[in-house]
Amino acid sequence: MSRFTDEELMQKVQAGYMVEGPEDMTEGYRKALRVQLTVQADTELMSAPSYWMAARYAPSTNTQVSAHAIIQDELAHANIAYRLLEDIGESKEHLVYGRQPHEFKHPYGFDQPLDNWAELVVATGFFDRAGITLLTDVHENTSYAPLKRALVKIGMEETFHLRHGEVWMRRLAKAGGEARELVQRAVDWMFPMTIEWFGLPDDMKRHSGQLDFKLKGLTNDQLRQVWMASTVPLCEELGLDAPAHWDEAKGEYVLDYPFPCQYDAVDKHWAFDEGEISWDAVFERWKGRGPMNEIYVESVQRSRMDVERWLAA
Amino acid sequence: MKEFVYDVFTRKERGDRLQHVGYVDAFDDETAKIYAWTTYSEEKWFEMCVVKRTNVLPVNRTDGLFVEAQRTADV
Repeated sequence: MSRFTDEELMQKVQAGYMVEGPEDMTEGYRKALRVQLTVQADTELMSAPSYWMAARYAPSTNTQVSAHAIIQDELAHANIAYRLLEDIGESKEHLVYGRQPHEFKHPYGFDQPLDNWAELVVATGFFDRAGITLLTDVHENTSYAPLKRALVKIGMEETFHLRHGEVWMRRLAKAGGEARELVQRAVDWMFPMTIEWFGLPDDMKRHSGQLDFKLKGLTNDQLRQVWMASTVPLCEELGLDAPAHWDEAKGEYVLDYPFPCQYDAVDKHWAFDEGEISWDAVFERWKGRGPMNEIYVESVQRSRMDVERWLAA
Repeated sequence: MKEFVYDVFTRKERGDRLQHVGYVDAFDDETAKIYAWTTYSEEKWFEMCVVKRTNVLPVNRTDGLFVEAQRTADV
């Protein structure tokens, strides 16, 4: 039995109260935190096989090292988030090894194959920037103290991933020719993919309690704007086409395509010309998961049972 | 695979405070050291140590994670 009601705890955290553990929580707070941490942990975990399978395209031993350093960081971040979930009564064993591929809560972007070095660097430039956007907001605003402390490390390392992505995007874009074309093609599918990652627009958003319990500070649309505010100028600087522009009159970034829209995962193509689709159709696509979902999850889970059996023998 | 929680403490520079930076799950002390060193690799630490959570004795609180660890260890 919690010592506060949900309303009391909401008021307290809005006034600066920091939650230190389960004894300070209401059931509503714990549920909202569990959802947030599960998405965070699953996203970090599933970025690892996605980057790992793409790391084979690294063009030198130095880039092999930096790509694998990123993967090591992502796995450590996942581990930390699952550990935080254990503190609030969830089982890491079940979350990592007991779920079916479609039950993971990571974004659809990490169900897609990364097919060359350009795609890996744009992924670290775009997807990791989305990660920083979301987690910086959590770090600055969360009322859950153990998560705030954990995010110091995570923020430092994600910044390095982003820098790695940016440096390589710049290098490939400047080289021109095929290198530049490959980067542009990656931008073409990953820009809308990341935009979609931030979720429902605010006017459709279901009430999740994450803002009321101060588990985050910004809304989905605000976070999308933060991400675009650094991504669009980067693309402009590199001479890459990004389907969004700054609207002087509105004072915000505006998308140049119907949002949301349908995605062909086989051709890595967004059907801008087919117009806007419903969010129900988007949820349907997310629920069906992307082409690499089972392969990525299997790569994380595959040896667990074998080794358990050897150890038990 | 039964694992235990180990809290991780680090000191960034000579003369700095020892601070809690996080935790790892590990099945013994040696693996806890390895996991801590590879997980919390964001700095060149002057010092890092790990403490099995069940070995932390709560002094002024009767609730929270460290009490929980003691309770679990007693079972």
